[in-house]
Amino acid sequence: METQSQCTVADAEAIVKKYADMVYKLAFSQVHNKNDADDIFQEVFLRYFKNPQKFESEEHQKAWLIRVTINCSKKHWSSAWNRKTTALNESFTFSMPEENILDDALRKLSPKYRAVIHLFYYEGYAVEQISHILKVKQSTVRTQLTRARAQIGKMLKGEF
Amino acid sequence: MFEDRYKSMYEQIVPDESLISKTIERINQQAGSKKSKAELYDTKLNGNEPYRTWLPKAKQSKGIRLFFKYATAAAVILVFTFAVMPAIAANVPVIYELMYMVSPSTAQFFMPVQKSCEDNGIRMEVVSTYIHEDTAEVYITLQDLTGNRVDETTDLYDSYSIHLPFDSSATCDLVGYDEKTRTATFLIRITQWGNRRIEGSKLTFSVGCFISGKRAYEDVPIKIDLSSVGKSPKTKETKIYGVSGPNVDKYLPIDKSIVDRTATVIVPSDTIYSPADGFDITGIGYVDGMLHIQFATADRSKNDSHGYFYLKDKDGNKILYDYSVGFVEYGEPGNEDTKIVYDEYIFDIPQDEISNYALYGSFYTSGLYTEGNWQVTFPLQSKDVEQ
Repeated sequence: METQSQCTVADAEAIVKKYADMVYKLAFSQVHNKNDADDIFQEVFLRYFKNPQKFESEEHQKAWLIRVTINCSKKHWSSAWNRKTTALNESFTFSMPEENILDDALRKLSPKYRAVIHLFYYEGYAVEQISHILKVKQSTVRTQLTRARAQIGKMLKGEF
Repeated sequence: MFEDRYKSMYEQIVPDESLISKTIERINQQAGSKKSKAELYDTKLNGNEPYRTWLPKAKQSKGIRLFFKYATAAAVILVFTFAVMPAIAANVPVIYELMYMVSPSTAQFFMPVQKSCEDNGIRMEVVSTYIHEDTAEVYITLQDLTGNRVDETTDLYDSYSIHLPFDSSATCDLVGYDEKTRTATFLIRITQWGNRRIEGSKLTFSVGCFISGKRAYEDVPIKIDLSSVGKSPKTKETKIYGVSGPNVDKYLPIDKSIVDRTATVIVPSDTIYSPADGFDITGIGYVDGMLHIQFATADRSKNDSHGYFYLKDKDGNKILYDYSVGFVEYGEPGNEDTKIVYDEYIFDIPQDEISNYALYGSFYTSGLYTEGNWQVTFPLQSKDVEQ
């Protein structure tokens, strides 16, 4: 399959709707606030249609979107870090108290750890696939995953 | 369980419908306001009836686009070959053909750079750049002047670096290989954060090593009779550098053992079986009711060797390992040259059922590791093109 991001009204609607959840959830996992996730969401899809890309397969297309979402998130995360404050109305309240505790713990993780955690635990990618998508060595992904799990374990000691 | 809680959290995170609609609207606005030059020419040609009459109606616009595409490609090649770069290297027209294939709508806007450096018999050359708004696209070639170390599998993996005076994100992809000149072409896309124009900046691109000669051994049947696998192999508790697998949380929960990064593994033995060059099975057996299979690779940092095992049942269904752990051992303490990396894959299949399965593996490695010091600094300049 060769997919090209040449824009038509129908294409834009189909692509955005198809990958909306994936991009938004990944963006939120990186920045942990709604306003920034909204901005990243728009930026990713605008970039997708701005420069025509050729994709060999749907997986290739998905991997591109994941990489660009993570890259766009870095900018927003960095900016939020510099501001050192996050308005309360940007936060998301989860339905279960334990989920809010876990959200707090995830916020304290480095963004690179949040990315591998999300791709592994939510998107269900194997280490081999994450390594391919993020273009880093498998051993790096493994190490990040292990360190992230260890840090969460320390932060939530007794909670799990 | 962590995984369930994480999934439950993120099921609640969805984009608003209004955000989706607004995004689609913005994309359509962007598409309407920014037609590429090729699209503008297309519009002109399609409105010019005499050019269209000799083509079958259904193929008119496509035919004209193709004519325009190849004519422009030829013109670009001619201009760069005879006018812009008289001392052009023999392989450069190939690069421009490649550029046209990779970026058909923008190939004509690339600015020639032709800055190069040479080390260890390998030449790295920055061929051309195209700057538009906050994005720079750069074509770089790697050519082996003395041997065959550069091939169609050449991978800079994470050994390259890009130095710019501002924050940016970048990707680097192999886009082509010319066997005749033993030249690999890479396309680097750099986007500056903050949406500022990046024209006028200087970029330094450097590479310290690359791997090539990649080989893949996929779906290799492992000729080991699983029903005769030992029940009590010698094991040890060892420090691990990583874990992976779909069910790692179930078997290695986040607790003291993972925080301390240790796991129970089979004590590596001499090679039991070699499923592929450079991969040695050094342990197999049942530990605490689970099948453990261990393989070893040497000097992984120089060949990026990796692989995994899986089982196939009698219906041909693939069963992935439940989790895996990685650990290293040194022939001489601290001596990197004597480092061996072990991966142990664990399957939760009862021993009385294991005869219903066959063991397979997929393995990937690179035969060549080339070191050097290649670095090129060049200005990011855009080419003035008449509208």
